[in-house]
Amino acid sequence: MGRKIPLLVLVLAIAGFCYMLFPIVVVVLAGLTAGEFLTFPPQGLSLRWVVAFLQSDKYLSAFFFSFRLALMTMIVATIIGTAAALFLSRTRFVGRAAMRAFFLSPVVLPGVVVGFALFAFYISTGSSISRTIWGLWIGHILYSTPYVIGTVGAALAAFDISLEEAARSLGSSPWRAFRRVTLPNIGHGIQAGSIFAFIVSFGQFEVSLFLSAPNSEPLPIAMYNSLRYQFDPSAAAAGIFAITLVTASVLLTNRLVNIRRLLERQHA
Amino acid sequence: MTFRKLEPTRRSVLKSGISLGATAAVSAPFVNHAWAQDVSYDGEVFDAGGATLNIGEWGGGWEEFVRSALTDQFEKDFNCKINWDSSFPWFPKFVTQGPQDPVFDIANWNLPNLTQTKQAGDYFLSVDEVRENVPNAADCWSFAFASGAGVTWAYMPYVYAYRTDSGPAPSSFRDFWDDRFANKRGTYGTENGLMHAFFMATAQEFGTDQYDMNAAFEALENAMPMKVSEFTFNMLSLIERGEVDIAVHIEGEALSLKRKGVPMDVWLWDSRPILTQTKTISRYSDPMQKKLAFALLNRTLGAQFLNAFGDEFLWRPTNAKASITAQLAEAGVMNTPDAVEDFWVPDWDFFVENKLEITDRLNQIFGL
Repeated sequence: MGRKIPLLVLVLAIAGFCYMLFPIVVVVLAGLTAGEFLTFPPQGLSLRWVVAFLQSDKYLSAFFFSFRLALMTMIVATIIGTAAALFLSRTRFVGRAAMRAFFLSPVVLPGVVVGFALFAFYISTGSSISRTIWGLWIGHILYSTPYVIGTVGAALAAFDISLEEAARSLGSSPWRAFRRVTLPNIGHGIQAGSIFAFIVSFGQFEVSLFLSAPNSEPLPIAMYNSLRYQFDPSAAAAGIFAITLVTASVLLTNRLVNIRRLLERQHA
Repeated sequence: MTFRKLEPTRRSVLKSGISLGATAAVSAPFVNHAWAQDVSYDGEVFDAGGATLNIGEWGGGWEEFVRSALTDQFEKDFNCKINWDSSFPWFPKFVTQGPQDPVFDIANWNLPNLTQTKQAGDYFLSVDEVRENVPNAADCWSFAFASGAGVTWAYMPYVYAYRTDSGPAPSSFRDFWDDRFANKRGTYGTENGLMHAFFMATAQEFGTDQYDMNAAFEALENAMPMKVSEFTFNMLSLIERGEVDIAVHIEGEALSLKRKGVPMDVWLWDSRPILTQTKTISRYSDPMQKKLAFALLNRTLGAQFLNAFGDEFLWRPTNAKASITAQLAEAGVMNTPDAVEDFWVPDWDFFVENKLEITDRLNQIFGL
């Protein structure tokens, strides 16, 4: 039996969803326009700008570069973020709150500040990674990891630590107890965090503005350049593919999670 | 644990001094910077041995065209690799790395940003140093060297882009202020170079000269309400949709909209200021990179590239031996001494020195 939702809350929720979805609808329709410029409402519907995107070496290489970058970022951010969340939730020491704030600071600070600060740091330390793919990767990891810390931290807060302690008391090693008891319970948080990291990295603009390497342009930078010098709807067409990729990754992950649950039930 | 007390003796001090001196003497000749090794270029093709040239250039469709019309062939001819960076702005990158470790060997600029960087340090070769090593610069009009730090290779006059179905065509700079254009006139945000030029031209028109800021502020206040856009191509879409009837613009881009059949045209400002594309060469680039930069600038200034570029984007060439693209030539545009003598470049040094005040005040006027 479903719970009753007050009408006012329901209306506000629907309005909120519409408000959030509207920009996506605008991007999709603007990318399907038959007109010459990126405008809304579209001047007729056509696939000409989608075709232009698919035929553009510049856009396609930017798209796949962003995809690879986001994937690499997601892997490292998930490992570091999970470890940091475990550290923050399992240890008690003076300054823990300050350390949590420190870990989350890249999200709080404007992206431009983070990007420029990293760029200046690379230069001042004489490292050779400024304006290289590795420097850009570090920037994306820095910016994406707090999302993993946040979601895994929330999962750990809901996790009953006595379950792990019970496993230990029955002779399980710390690693085995973590792998067999804790990890399955916080898995959803890790998955959600990794998806966030992927999405944040894929759409990251401000950090990339200062750190992107020559000849290796992430998609948001390529879209910005297109708007700056052409303002044709190919940028919106690129946006359609970006939205599709992000949506597909979310759906795919949900699907994988559900399959795993099904398998677990079958084994049970 | 015991600590050894450091007590320098006369012998140890002398030994340290000799070691330091020897280290400095040995390492000094290997400081690999251009101030130690000068280069020259005579216009011929040479083998760069696979060297990498770092360039700062615009991206998007501009990049695709310039690569196909210029740099792809350049890489083959000179056996080099071009590192293309289009993540603008260049200014903070140059300043962060400092003059002696230039972020780009050659960079393409709008003049306000170039001037800002030029004022921040010894980043670029002087005009004379560039002219000595770029043979095609000898064929350029004098305003190509107005920046004092590079060579302007293409330009466009500032214009009003206006809809032809919105009433009589403008015939003077002050027509922008006509009542009929209230809230239908368009200009740009305070970071856009077109707004900077419009400000200087407005000062010249309404005040004593281009430096009369108060006259410009007052005139722009009287021009409100205006539609304020960030990019020129966004402004074209506003004109196409009829949200703007008259707008500050540049010749070639505005005419590209006319070519698409939109009922609009352009009117050149009678004071004839121009928007420029200017390339600089970094003073402290390594010798091979500097030589490649000379070569690339020389090719940029060549008639072959300028003609192709003009056909694609309707920019005018600064090289007297290049030709005006047919679409502009049909409208009477020429590339002769008489035709270009009235063109001038706003005093960007003045603008940059007063930029904070101008930006602050314009933001107030625009309500930003």
